[in-house]
Amino acid sequence: MRRRSWLKLGIGAAAVLAIGGGAVALLGPGWQRGRLAPAGRTVFTHVGRALLEGSLPANPAEQAAALDGLLDRVDALVAALPPHAQQELSQLLSLLATSAGRRALAGLAQDWPVAPLAGIQQGLQSMRISSLSLRRQAYQALHDITGAAYFSDRGTWPQLGYPGPMDI
Amino acid sequence: MSRLPDPIREGLARGWRVAGGPHGAVPDRLACDVAIVGSGAGAGISAEILTRAGLKVLLVEEGPLKTSSDFRQLESEAYPSLYQESAARKTSDKAITILQGRCVGGSTTVNWTSSFRTPAATLDHWQRHFGLQRFGNDELAPFFEQAERRLSIGPWLLPPNENNALLRRGAARLGIATAAIQRNVKGCWNLGSCGLGCPTNAKQSMLVTTIPWALDHGAHLLVETRAERLELANGRVTALVCVPASGEGPATRITARHYVLAAGAINSPAVLLRSQAPDPHGRLGQRTFLHPVVLSAAHFDGKVEGWRGAPQTLYSDHFLETQPIDGPIGYKLEAPPVHPVIFATTVTGYGREHADLMRQFPNTHVLIALLRDGFHEQSPGGSVRLRGDGSPQLDYPLTDFVMEGARRALLSMMEIQFAAGARRVLPVHELARPYLDWNEARRAVAALPMKPLLAKIVSAHVMGGCGLAGDPALGVVRPDGVHWQLQNLSVHDGSLFPTSVGANPQLSIYGIVNRLAQDLARRMGGRDAILA
Ligand SMILES: Cc1cc2nc3c(=O)[nH]c(=O)nc-3n(C[C@H](O)[C@H](O)[C@H](O)COP(=O)(O)OP(=O)(O)OC[C@H]3O[C@@H](n4cnc5c(N)ncnc54)[C@H](O)[C@@H]3O)c2cc1C
Repeated sequence: MRRRSWLKLGIGAAAVLAIGGGAVALLGPGWQRGRLAPAGRTVFTHVGRALLEGSLPANPAEQAAALDGLLDRVDALVAALPPHAQQELSQLLSLLATSAGRRALAGLAQDWPVAPLAGIQQGLQSMRISSLSLRRQAYQALHDITGAAYFSDRGTWPQLGYPGPMDI
Repeated sequence: MSRLPDPIREGLARGWRVAGGPHGAVPDRLACDVAIVGSGAGAGISAEILTRAGLKVLLVEEGPLKTSSDFRQLESEAYPSLYQESAARKTSDKAITILQGRCVGGSTTVNWTSSFRTPAATLDHWQRHFGLQRFGNDELAPFFEQAERRLSIGPWLLPPNENNALLRRGAARLGIATAAIQRNVKGCWNLGSCGLGCPTNAKQSMLVTTIPWALDHGAHLLVETRAERLELANGRVTALVCVPASGEGPATRITARHYVLAAGAINSPAVLLRSQAPDPHGRLGQRTFLHPVVLSAAHFDGKVEGWRGAPQTLYSDHFLETQPIDGPIGYKLEAPPVHPVIFATTVTGYGREHADLMRQFPNTHVLIALLRDGFHEQSPGGSVRLRGDGSPQLDYPLTDFVMEGARRALLSMMEIQFAAGARRVLPVHELARPYLDWNEARRAVAALPMKPLLAKIVSAHVMGGCGLAGDPALGVVRPDGVHWQLQNLSVHDGSLFPTSVGANPQLSIYGIVNRLAQDLARRMGGRDAILA
């Protein structure tokens, strides 16, 4: 596999999307004006739920608050990435937010908000071990951004048994 | 926030000549004797030597000037402010995450303080294959010695943290030798947050040593200013064009008698590529090495707390020394610092399995193996290219040759961890899971597909791309560090190395650049100068 960038993915996936009647250029971006666009927020909310199952609070209200906090920290994290990385991520998120892209990349039949947790996790697992390096790249981007954004917050540290910085 | 004295803020108050970013506008024209691009390992040493020699030095750094008062030991602050690409720089296929500094002090501001001289076997190889006759162990020794004195490099006398102690215990059970690592620290508090910037100024990085010295003696520093390209004419550099790192504001044109590129491997070749520097033999940006690193995490009954205490105080070169340097790839073993974000992203898996691993955080031991790339024809390293926007990108094909080394390295680390008493060991690979005993682990890892984006690979040691060579067909710069085709341009950083070092590279850069900078100062008519 020598595909080099999400731009290439954009072109490859355009074929996939054409079936669904769309084209990459017409998609809403996943990242816009320095923060996650609605498409990106949807994807990260549900990917976050799946990746962080067991780390997120179980209580629904607390979980929703934790996911909101996660999205804010994803915003901050992505804002610090260089433009080329933001663009690639934006394309990835916008593809994942369409039904054709979601099926092609994540192998997920149902839309994010209605798909059961186990279904999303299966989708992630299929990306993780896919023979297409493109899908493995996508999985790792989601895994790493979610993990970094979530566990950068002090609120998660007690659960890790991590005391945080020493006072000096 | 640290309540300790902050020598950088004090220096600024004393009137250091610093411009750029919050320190004020950069003039549109500047002149000096030597313009240095970067402020990391190679730049810092060069700045001090050339300033000592009485030359007028100007440093240009793309990153911010952050100081001990800013270093709050938080990953959420350190990665975006102190690292290239927010610590998420990747090779073009995204299979390797690359850590490099991007701030005053460069990678030395965030590095883990392990200090090794260039191994004699590496120098032998360079002498034999790259025409670097003057790079003998004995010839370089005085230059290393000066760097060691200047940067307080010495034995670490406190007991190792548990993460390191477990490496020694496990290895000893298997008859594998380990040894102590020297560190460049003075009055170290043993905090363990070296990678997030040293809040006590104990780490003798360029940020607190050579750069303050140079600034105190008249050097000029531009920060948040990117060296965009060199203007070239008739085999010479005629100017260095810089732009604000923010992308907004006017350019600055710097003229100098001599130019020193020390922007680090990947970025130094990129400046030359953007400048369309002559490259008659197709060497520029080629042979970039990473010491590709694989990792193994293990759970112990007792607490390990890998975030606490000096990182990397013990190592093993067993798997480098027991095999020929140009045979199957060998590896150095070390025990790195472990913090929540780096751990959460590095450790594989999702959902309950990942949550489980995270909950074991305090009892987790981590080993890394650094693969010695560049000594075998099947390990030619990577190459730097430019994206459409001019930013650099490293292509690094993970060959089967390298990945078989990665498999052996995972096996060695797991065996050591089980020997040290691990309950479960997780080789960091997407298809692996925590194994309960060595036999099960060995069988599983023997069968894992060792492919990019399955095995996790990281690097904090970027080297090469502007290789030193005694023959223009073999490298980008001459043995004295001067560009083969551009007579007033030198390269003084990790991009000089014709192979990887086979040891953590900072002291190799300090020592070798120390010599190159002394020679350069002399050629420029400066006073004789040594580091210490
Ligand atoms: C997290 C981490 C841990 C490490 N641990 C160790 C260790 O324990 N022991 C060890 O020996 N080594 C360690 N290293 C590696 C070591 O620090 C580096 O090899 C060394 O600092 C490289 O020196 P350099 O001069 O090549 O570049 P750097 O020190 O990286 O400096 C390059 C500087 O140039 C600047 N720059 C880049 N492009 C431009 C441009 N266009 N214009 C202006 N400025 C530019 C960068 O912002 C940077 O500040 C570690 C590195 C990291 C990142």
